[in-house]
Amino acid sequence: MEILHNLAFGFEHALTLQNLMYCAIGCAVGTLVGLLPGLGPLSTISLLLPMTYSIPTDGALIMLAGIYYGAQYGDSVSAITMKIPHASSIVACIDGYQMTRKGKTGLALFSAGVSSFIGGTVAIVVLSTLAPALGEIAFLFGPSDYCALILLGFLCVGFVTTGGHMINGLAMALVGVLLGSIGTDVNSGARRFTLDLAFLADGIGLISIALGCFAIAEIARNLDSRSEFTPFSGRIQLIPSWTEFKRIIPSALRGSAVGSFLGLLPGGGPTLAQFGAYALEKRFSKHRAEIGSGAIEGVAGQAAADEAAARTSFIPLMSIGIPENAVMALMLAAFIVKGIQPGPNMIGQHPELFWGLVASMWIGNCFLLVLNVPMVRYLLSVFKIPYSVLFPCILFFCCIGTFSVNNNLDDIYITAAFGLVGYVFLRLGLEPAPLILGFILGPMLEENFRRALVISRGSFSIFVTRPISASLLAITAAFFVWQISAYARQALARRASLPATHKGL
Amino acid sequence: MNQLLIRGLALVAIALCFGIPALTYRVGTFSNAGPGLFPLLVSCIVGLIGVVMIVRARFERVESLPFKLRNIFIVLAGLVGFAIIAKHFNVVGAIVYLVFVSTLAGSDYSAVRNIKICAVLIAIAFALHAFLGLNLTLL
Repeated sequence: MEILHNLAFGFEHALTLQNLMYCAIGCAVGTLVGLLPGLGPLSTISLLLPMTYSIPTDGALIMLAGIYYGAQYGDSVSAITMKIPHASSIVACIDGYQMTRKGKTGLALFSAGVSSFIGGTVAIVVLSTLAPALGEIAFLFGPSDYCALILLGFLCVGFVTTGGHMINGLAMALVGVLLGSIGTDVNSGARRFTLDLAFLADGIGLISIALGCFAIAEIARNLDSRSEFTPFSGRIQLIPSWTEFKRIIPSALRGSAVGSFLGLLPGGGPTLAQFGAYALEKRFSKHRAEIGSGAIEGVAGQAAADEAAARTSFIPLMSIGIPENAVMALMLAAFIVKGIQPGPNMIGQHPELFWGLVASMWIGNCFLLVLNVPMVRYLLSVFKIPYSVLFPCILFFCCIGTFSVNNNLDDIYITAAFGLVGYVFLRLGLEPAPLILGFILGPMLEENFRRALVISRGSFSIFVTRPISASLLAITAAFFVWQISAYARQALARRASLPATHKGL
Repeated sequence: MNQLLIRGLALVAIALCFGIPALTYRVGTFSNAGPGLFPLLVSCIVGLIGVVMIVRARFERVESLPFKLRNIFIVLAGLVGFAIIAKHFNVVGAIVYLVFVSTLAGSDYSAVRNIKICAVLIAIAFALHAFLGLNLTLL
């Protein structure tokens, strides 16, 4: 009953005309930008984050959340129709694009839309029941436990975003930690790595790094590859038959369950969830033989998981203050910019914000379903904008976005510098997402690390004697050992196959 | 050049850039850490990962490293020029500069199209100024 009461309280806040408008704008803009080639949820949020500075706190967060799932939906549209994926819509490319090739684009988009709605709704039930309970658990966490949790987060995000090259992800996260230490040390007041430049005393702005490493580096890469995006010109028939509709529901429910669970884990989130749901469909669906060649189940399951995970990934952020992936790290930045520290106290201190956000997620879902699904055929005309027109506009928005953080044009130089850094990393095959996570969590890691060592009088035993940190470190170590053994096995297999090929030649 | 080798060298360079200055701050002890301790520890780990990559590069197949510096430098020149012009003159001039310079990196160049893009972006800048209170000298 209390949950219903809380949800009613949330709807009371989310259903104000102003917040409804922010939610609608967020969903629409997110979808529109998400449709654009080269812009996923992460770059969309980093691009639009500064635009929310002048909006009241609850409206701004509702709008950003709307941008997030709008962008995800937009991504799945571009994946299904054009096979242009982003991190959260890789699986949609498989069956979704096959359905497009069979002339069933409308059905694929409808399945994705309805499944996202189901996934989102299930996840909101999980969010409203689990988040307060997890908030209680978070009080058990001491400084050493936080350190262990952050380390595990680095490994998981590094592993997920770099496609299995955990060591690259870890290296990038640690480089992010180093960048995060630029500026004034909170404990001693000493200025670190500022090169005696006054504007570095407060550290580097997150937006400069995010825009530089994602938007600008991505533009340069697209220009290098001379990517030509063919405009979409197929016909779209949206409404499915009853038998087709019946196939969507069980897959969407299975996907929702997988997504809700995987969204909770550090390093999880939509990227992992969609693969989990797809694997599950391939194993348990009645039509599993068709999956891979354009089956509704292949689209519905992953879309539901994607959306469910996108929502439940707010739970670790809002209840323990640890973002589990790069998008959530940006959301954390948005909370902090608005003067709110997500963590165990957030639900108690700002109930209107928490429950308002939860309620607005469901409203956002309705907007996506009602506005975007029928509008998709018009939205696809965005693809007709050639890249040579699009990229100067994106650059302009990067400049305005960077400027609007501190009303300082000098910040654009930092953004440009990180554009170069991001480009070099991209060319070196190093993913920038863990870097952003490291940058945000770095100061928190340092603070907790130093605090833990002060408590233990300099002894590292505190990390293994406390049960939470000991178990988290054990998981981290197991993960590490598993990776190293997998690498060693691969290397041995390569060595074994090399002479065989020579013999064959 | 071997991608893995350069990756390792880049990480070692970053570790040195942060690790050496960190030594100049007070390092302290673990029970009473100074401002230099944590960056020093992290730099050591980054450096170690870099060294591991350099060693691995000796044993693994060489992946060539594709670098095209032209486009990224045109884009960066556009951004830096935008900041300078917007600071000392106005945003309209900066937009015109940004559009005309950055599109040099595109596959085809059209002055007419650039003028149209400029017109739209200038209109957006005016709208942002009017509705979101963007604090820039427009004209």
